Amino acid sequence: MDLQLKHKKNKKKRQNTDKLQKDEVLNMEVEREKSKPTEKNKRKREKGNDIDTGKAVRSNIKDGSINAISGRKMKESSRKKNRKNEERNTLTGKSEQPSTDAEVEFVDQYGKSKKAKHKKKEDGGSSKKGETDQDEVCHLSCGDESCSKGVKGSSKKARMKRKKEHNSSKEAKKSQEKAPEADSDDVYQISSGDEDCSKGMKKWIMEYNQSRPGLKVLEQNIDEFITAHEANLEQERKEREAQAAEGGWTVVVHHKGRKKTTDVESGTTVGSVAKAVVEDNMKKKKREEVKLDFYRFQRREAQRNEILTLQSKFEEDKKRIQQLRAARKFRPY
Amino acid sequence: MESDSMDLKVRELLKEVTLDYSPTLSKHVNDTVSAIKDAIDKIPDDLKVTADEAPGFVRDIGADKVEFKFKKPTSIEIGGSYAIQCIVKPDINVDLFIRLPKECFHEKDYLNYRYHAKRCLYLSIIKKYLKFSSVKVEWSTLQNEARKPVLLVYPATELVGLPGFFVRIIPTTNSLFTIKKLNLKRSNIRALTHGGIPQATPKYNSSILEDMFLEDTSELIKKTFLGWKELGEASILLKVWARQRSSIYVHDCLNGFLISVILSYLASQNKIANSMRAMQIFRVTLNFIGRYLFNEIRKTNFFHLRCCTWSPLQKYGTMDSTSDGKARRVYHRRKGFHIKKLFQLLFVIHQLPSICHFVYQGLVSFRYYLPGHCGPYLQDEATLTLKCIEKCRDGGFEEIFMTKVDSAAKYDYCIRLDLKGKSEVHASGFCLDDECWRLYEQKVHSLLNQGLNNRAKLIRVIWRNTLSECSIENGFSILDREPLLVGVSVNSMENAFRVVDIGPNAENKQEALKFRKFWGEKAELRRFKDGTIAESTVWESEHWNRHLILKRIAEYVLLRHLSLSKENIVHILDQLDFSLLHGVRDPISFSGSLLKALEVLSKRLRLIQDIPLKVSSVQPLDPAFRFTSVFPPEPHPLAIDKGDVPRLQKLMPSCIQPLEVMIQLEGSGNWPMDDIAIEKTKTAFLLKIGESLQNSWGMTCTATEDDVDVFMSGYVFRLKIWHERGLSLLKREDGSDQFKWVSSIDKELFVRSQHSSMINGLQGRYPLYGPVVRIAKRWVASHLFSSCLGEEAVELLVAHLFLKPLPFNAPCSRITGFLRFLRLLSEYDWTFSALVVDINEDLSPKDEKEISNNFMLTRKGYEENKQNISAAMFLATAYDKASEAWTRFSPNVSELKRLVAYARSSANLLNKLILQDQIDSYKWECLLRTPLNNYDAVILLHRDRLPYPQRLLFPSELNQGKHVARGNASKVFQPFMSPVDFKGSLEELKNKLLVNFDPLRFFVGDLEKEFSNMFKVWYDSLGGDAIGITWDRFSSKKRGREEGEDPVDVLKSVGQFGKGFVRSVYSLKSPRLMN
Repeated sequence: MDLQLKHKKNKKKRQNTDKLQKDEVLNMEVEREKSKPTEKNKRKREKGNDIDTGKAVRSNIKDGSINAISGRKMKESSRKKNRKNEERNTLTGKSEQPSTDAEVEFVDQYGKSKKAKHKKKEDGGSSKKGETDQDEVCHLSCGDESCSKGVKGSSKKARMKRKKEHNSSKEAKKSQEKAPEADSDDVYQISSGDEDCSKGMKKWIMEYNQSRPGLKVLEQNIDEFITAHEANLEQERKEREAQAAEGGWTVVVHHKGRKKTTDVESGTTVGSVAKAVVEDNMKKKKREEVKLDFYRFQRREAQRNEILTLQSKFEEDKKRIQQLRAARKFRPY
Repeated sequence: MESDSMDLKVRELLKEVTLDYSPTLSKHVNDTVSAIKDAIDKIPDDLKVTADEAPGFVRDIGADKVEFKFKKPTSIEIGGSYAIQCIVKPDINVDLFIRLPKECFHEKDYLNYRYHAKRCLYLSIIKKYLKFSSVKVEWSTLQNEARKPVLLVYPATELVGLPGFFVRIIPTTNSLFTIKKLNLKRSNIRALTHGGIPQATPKYNSSILEDMFLEDTSELIKKTFLGWKELGEASILLKVWARQRSSIYVHDCLNGFLISVILSYLASQNKIANSMRAMQIFRVTLNFIGRYLFNEIRKTNFFHLRCCTWSPLQKYGTMDSTSDGKARRVYHRRKGFHIKKLFQLLFVIHQLPSICHFVYQGLVSFRYYLPGHCGPYLQDEATLTLKCIEKCRDGGFEEIFMTKVDSAAKYDYCIRLDLKGKSEVHASGFCLDDECWRLYEQKVHSLLNQGLNNRAKLIRVIWRNTLSECSIENGFSILDREPLLVGVSVNSMENAFRVVDIGPNAENKQEALKFRKFWGEKAELRRFKDGTIAESTVWESEHWNRHLILKRIAEYVLLRHLSLSKENIVHILDQLDFSLLHGVRDPISFSGSLLKALEVLSKRLRLIQDIPLKVSSVQPLDPAFRFTSVFPPEPHPLAIDKGDVPRLQKLMPSCIQPLEVMIQLEGSGNWPMDDIAIEKTKTAFLLKIGESLQNSWGMTCTATEDDVDVFMSGYVFRLKIWHERGLSLLKREDGSDQFKWVSSIDKELFVRSQHSSMINGLQGRYPLYGPVVRIAKRWVASHLFSSCLGEEAVELLVAHLFLKPLPFNAPCSRITGFLRFLRLLSEYDWTFSALVVDINEDLSPKDEKEISNNFMLTRKGYEENKQNISAAMFLATAYDKASEAWTRFSPNVSELKRLVAYARSSANLLNKLILQDQIDSYKWECLLRTPLNNYDAVILLHRDRLPYPQRLLFPSELNQGKHVARGNASKVFQPFMSPVDFKGSLEELKNKLLVNFDPLRFFVGDLEKEFSNMFKVWYDSLGGDAIGITWDRFSSKKRGREEGEDPVDVLKSVGQFGKGFVRSVYSLKSPRLMN
């Protein structure tokens, strides 16, 4: 590919709107979080953050960039604020409840046990209920997002979702523990995994969505990679040269340019050495090898070797026949 | 070299099948025979025998005046193959000829089945007395001819190494009747008249004549064979050959006796020289059968051959007693023989359905009337075998002697008629000139012959209606128990799939009337394009259903002309089609639109201007493009271009299969040098292409880092760029000394494109290739072998069946092809032979040598360790001479072993289903139903979370083993879109389509990543709901971490990895510990 063309393209992209850049910042932020270990004390804080980002992204549908910034700001806010946020979120969750319930029902047409679990959670306490509800809502709103905003949105949504699931997985596990007890037989209950996206169906869906961020983003990634890659190569070359130069030697470098030759068949360039030349070299080598039977003892040895190989082959054949016989390969019934 | 190995193999084969004629054996035989003699001696002379001994038999055969006084047999002698030491294992029996005494018969007993009745009564008496001496006696028949029963005597003590040994008592008569009276043109059954004129009874007459000359012929054979070792060996080889071909080794065709007769004839003709070896004699004989015997008959309708001077026969030498005297005289005149010098003897081999007469004349010659439908068959088999000798590896030893060519594998289309209790069969009596069952065979044959006309190459009707263990004295009505088997070899697919049969011209009144009479309301008068108006039959059917036309015709004809009901007819043709259907339709019917879409796509790709390098070629990679995909995608209503209005359906799948298409770009020097950069550049190009398509044609494009998919006319195409430089880089590496498999994306693409185009070509040559591959793939997947045997490997295996069909012809039906696939898999000598699939038939000897060298390399380690071979299944092709492409890593030795075992049992079941079992769709389903108890643990999945639930063949349930875990279904994924989703815009809907989303694949991937050293996963990539797990043996070295782990805990965490997808996990067996 014409690399110059690519550079231009890169520049164009860099001139891209604020929004895109900010989106990226946000992405990075989330990424950083993802890498954090999920220790217990950190978890609470993250929970808050997640909800925030989640909200931010959701509102992103309307006006992306500003909300993204606000999302960042909120992350910096204190734990007390988190508490409030959470409450607010529960509220929003509840408000959206009626519209979502129907959808849940549809989704749920096979796995009714899920509903039962919800009920259990409700028993656990109102705050928990709020959270699970919110979870549902979040998941569904994510779906909306992926529709309207395309692949870009969905990747974010997925990441965010994952955090959410982390939080609720605790509760899920609790309810799991209860379930087997009730069942009395010792069949281990696997959760449906809708609350946890480290394993199972949810993870696969998430990874699928993540892997399709949209053509533009992909293009940009590739361009960045190529630039970085080339820079690396250049650096390496320079380092090598520098290292060699330090030793007081002048390095004779093969510069690409003139010596390129093209493949006879396809017209494509073949490395730096023409195929014909390589073949020529090979031929020369072979000619040297021919001289192996220059001396009489060499010839004699070769003959003996040949006989030996023939003998060994014969032996092999015999062995094979024996094996065949052992396997009753000659019995037609 | 080759002939040497053939000789060696033949020697080994002979060793296997020849009986050791040791003193113990001969003592055993003599003891048994003398015991029989003693028993017969005990029968009092002049015992009055009446019809009461076998009332049913006498009644059904229609004989009168059957009373006689018992006299001892004139002689009892051992004959048959034991006498000439040509018994072939495993069927070991000794023929005992008992000559019926003249005194028991009257002069005119050749009339009205009196001879047959007395013969049977005589045997019943012997049977009665043998039973007193406590040996097991059973009825049987001579070559399935119920009117001529024989007795089987099992000795009381069984000799070790001689299981199932018995003595066959065959009654003979020497010069009992005047030969003249048994002239083929004479009528000897008074009841058989046609409009008051007595009908000739050639077969009846032959039936008696056969008994009269059995001993003499046997004597002649003995004389020829004794002291001629090679001839004996040749007859053994011929018997082995014929026995493997069950369709010719039957009552109306070849048998051991006939083989001996033909051999001794050839010997007397000096066609077999004393210096010949067994294999040469074998070849000469086949050549004779295949080329001369029947051709000669066809030309002249009779066949004179000088056999040998045989003086003992002269005593029967009455002049010209046979029929067809005129023709023979012509012959004699031509040959310059003086007719008076000839002593004629008639010997009739009656088994051949119409007439197969061996006429021994003074200088014994035999005449052979063209038999009904067995002749062409025998000829066909002989020619095919000769081809094997010429063309196959190692002189065709495997194909000729070791491969079973039974009806199931031989015929393309089988029909079984269940005729139990059908009185129609014997409406006009059981035995007329011929037996009613043989007549019925002929009737069915001629009906089908007329109905199928040139759709069928050969039609074979065989009714093995006599069973051993039946009590023949009670009559013949029980002899319709076994089904009648019809085998059809299809002529060519074009003929077989033809929709319209054009009959006689309407002006030809007589013919037209005949046509109408045969076809009934199916006959239509039609005007054709060329203006002719002709009678015709039309078998309208959809393209993907054309293979069923044969069945429809056969069924129509049989139902119309025979008083049968549909339940009595079992067609073996479409039983496995269910596995390929989506609902009621075969998705292959969408292939046309798929190919059209591909054409449009490649045009659009080539037209793209706004990328630096232009697209130079577009090549399909996916099996759907070559008609070998089990489920070619159906057009999805959402995957359409912008502007088109989607037709929203109720059940819209939310997943869609992408179809890979390979693109080649113009050459350029600016490609980066290293692999990663090349791949990234490729993706960049593809993204550009996608964008361009999006802009100029409104096609939707979606992409990940590795794949770029474009939506068009209901399909999703996944674009791949092949960069030829990657290949040349590799080639250079190969040139160096170290032989290394470098897996590179370009190499893989190259191999796949080669494979794709070759298979596509093959598919064009053999229209049935595609369906057979699809069934084979379905079988492989449904037995959870998806990870072991790749799709391409299956395609190559099936290709082999079509390219090297010998000893068969290329299969012309799905089931036959499938059966042969299973047999190939189970019977091929994978450890010691490479399977070379030469698709374009362009491999040079040099290539073959290279392949065999590569093969030897993979088998080097075999000596030390039998597990230590790479590429356990070595598949070599023109583009892949070292079997690196498809079977390098899988199946490994143990997987292959399992695969072979499954194939064997499936093949046996299928064979049984074709030949014996009644209509039972459940049994057919068993071919594709895998037993789950063969695994150590089983994971069951949520059926409604499979991406294509309609592909699930059978829902799996398990009620054994320990239920370890159960899980609920996830809500985040549904295989079908919900109607609620439809509200959004088209773009939104499109984004909800999941391209190549397959939870099963992800799950298996996760498991293999996580537990690769603990167990092996078996799964069905086509949409099964069960996954099998077999524990790897814990080796003592690896134990470290796993030691403490409880298998139940492992299974629980396995379940965790499939959250939302796994329904339940069962543990059947704990892992074995190995030290």
